Amino acid sequence: MTGPPAPSRATAAARTDPASRATRAPHAPLAPRAWLVWSLAAVTVALVTDNPVYRGLVALVALNVLLTWLPPGRRVRPLAVAVLVAATLAALINLLAGHTGADVIARLPERLPLVGGPLTLESLAFGGAIGLGLVAALFSVAPLSLVLEPHDVVDAMPASLERTGIAVATSLNLVSGFGRTFTEVRDAQRMRGWKPAGLRSWNEVLVPVILTAIEDSVRLAEAMEARAFGAGRRTSYAASSFGAREAVVVAAALAAATLFVGLRIAGVAMDWYPYPTISLPPIHPLLVLACLGLALPAFPLPTHRSAAPPGRSA
Amino acid sequence: MSASTGTRLARLEHVSYWYPNQDEPSLREVDLEIEPGLTLIAGDSGGGKSTLLRLFDGLVPQFHGGRVSGRAEVAGLDPFRTPIPQLAQRAGLVFQDVETQSVYGTVEREVAFGLENLGLPRAEMHDRVDEAMAALGIESLVGRRLETLSGGERQRVQLAAVLVLRPQLVALDEPTSQLDPEGAAALLAACLGLAAGGRAVVVAEHRLETLSPAADRRLTVEGGRVTLGAAELPGLSGVAPARPPAGDPVPAGEPAWELRDVVAGPAGRSREPVLHDLSLAGGRGEVVALLGPNGSGKTTLLRTLAGLLPPLAGTVRRPAGRTAYLPQNPGALLHLPTVRAEVALTLRRTGSGESPEPILAAFGLDLLADRYPRDLSSGERQRAALAATVAGSPTLVLLDEPTRGMDRAARRSLAAAVETLTAGGSAVVLATHDTELAAELADRTIELRGGLAVERARGAVADETPLSGGSR
Repeated sequence: MTGPPAPSRATAAARTDPASRATRAPHAPLAPRAWLVWSLAAVTVALVTDNPVYRGLVALVALNVLLTWLPPGRRVRPLAVAVLVAATLAALINLLAGHTGADVIARLPERLPLVGGPLTLESLAFGGAIGLGLVAALFSVAPLSLVLEPHDVVDAMPASLERTGIAVATSLNLVSGFGRTFTEVRDAQRMRGWKPAGLRSWNEVLVPVILTAIEDSVRLAEAMEARAFGAGRRTSYAASSFGAREAVVVAAALAAATLFVGLRIAGVAMDWYPYPTISLPPIHPLLVLACLGLALPAFPLPTHRSAAPPGRSA
Repeated sequence: MSASTGTRLARLEHVSYWYPNQDEPSLREVDLEIEPGLTLIAGDSGGGKSTLLRLFDGLVPQFHGGRVSGRAEVAGLDPFRTPIPQLAQRAGLVFQDVETQSVYGTVEREVAFGLENLGLPRAEMHDRVDEAMAALGIESLVGRRLETLSGGERQRVQLAAVLVLRPQLVALDEPTSQLDPEGAAALLAACLGLAAGGRAVVVAEHRLETLSPAADRRLTVEGGRVTLGAAELPGLSGVAPARPPAGDPVPAGEPAWELRDVVAGPAGRSREPVLHDLSLAGGRGEVVALLGPNGSGKTTLLRTLAGLLPPLAGTVRRPAGRTAYLPQNPGALLHLPTVRAEVALTLRRTGSGESPEPILAAFGLDLLADRYPRDLSSGERQRAALAATVAGSPTLVLLDEPTRGMDRAARRSLAAAVETLTAGGSAVVLATHDTELAAELADRTIELRGGLAVERARGAVADETPLSGGSR
């Protein structure tokens, strides 16, 4: 019974799977906890300033890191499209509803509710900065779902939050099932004569899909329980490989976050307010450097402490 | 792997169990002993098999709630009161649906999940994971992502995930109902190996033919009562009305449906089509069975034929009138308060003036007609969904794995319903792993492999499966 089943395909895949990931990525995987710190730091930087220069830098750096580490078979495009649409919307809404600022680009009739009035360059720029913050923040957390495996997210959580991590991991697992159920139910109802007509008609699809999702969750909870979930203190199967590379990445990420938060508290000008007249955002070289420090995960770093310092990134 | 011969591992005395808010017990006065070796549990869907299996590891009553009476002991523990994590190290359970029981995305992590929960040291976890995977012959799956595995491989991974906890009793709840024959065979072989190794292996299955000869004991669960020995397991051919031999040949040049040079698959530049230049046709009153492993394109073919998936190339022709389509996992589509309302909805939608009663009766749903469909057992739900799907006199009926999770009674009513439909001139296309069903019902059998169709002569199906006995 234990004869090797179809060894050719299975073993070949077992060998190539981790290898292919290694050939795409510049170096061995980064410890999940380092990813978590990096993501949190990058989000902090993106949200603590509204200076579009820093936000733009974080967005570019995060996208670069994401593309460097993206495992084969996963795609950034859907996320990128969604994020760009959201950013564009933010800019447009602020342009249409802002009405403040000196440089008027156009005017909409005053009788139009909300959007009526002057449309200004300042409103557009400020909306753009908001959108850029959105882009930077989302690209910063994207590796947690696109690069890491669900179990990596669990490993990255501090012990007290491990259960939360598992809840997140399992719900991510159910997402693909959710999409499939939606297609199946929509198809099945259509073949029973259902036609989409207005919001209410979607009840016939959404209600069974949601009911199924709830049933699936209960089933999963039952299966987890049957495998001793909730027994007490957990351990992790994976060895935490927190080495020199992780230390460098975490140090740079923490330095960037600390610098931004610290300077914000100290009141050093890193904000940018385009009203009433638009101006170029102020730039502080130290803060630019801090942003660039977030790019470290995208570069091959020495594994040994004795090796040369990571000087190629700047 | 303590090969303790003759010692009983589980014992139930006068156990009755009521799910929350139920007046009728789902298990009645069950007296039972489980010993090492292979125990098979037969019985119709909704009869209490799943409930019985959940008693061993405490999910019933501890996870599901409800009321229990009587006494039970599993590997020296009281399953009604011992915390489930502790019981999990004595009794494990593998569930029917492979997807809603996996926590992580990769094989070893999934297998190790239970050990992480117990807080074992890492080195011991590695040993136990290796041991469990070796016991099932799935060492080669190391490093794979679960979504890249076949159903049979995934189910063995889930079995390994239970074995790492080193239970003395392993229960499997209809573990092969979603597997193709190869996957099912590999899983059942693994079960036999475990039983031979001294564990108690308890398998609830509708299709017991493969395991039957090897079973050390058999139980039947019916209406919440457990009886020793298996109920007679007649083949479908013993029950279904015999078809007139060969039936009418397809009227030449006048098929009911046709696919011509069809290329189909998910849209998108980088994706390979699933079907390549496929040409097929079927006539009125003809049953065509599609066989083939998971991923061979059966579902894509049905969806293309249903008009749900536009072909990338080629033409699709359907007969005038309604096309009925039963998707996989059809229980998902039910959402109305009663089974009758589900059938009535289809009839109303399709402009049919028929009453739901004859269809409910045809599927043996008379007694369940006023029940909430989602409270039914998986087999009963499948029947309800089937009734709601084929109502309204369709001219073309497309069924994707219609017997998945079905018991004998449901299969019989399916066979009868197909007879009625074809007698009325409907064309039927069914995709199935169930070679016995194909041999019984199909006028023609098409095998899909790698997106290509190979026509098999009638009767050829039976030759490949010792299960169906080659009665034709």
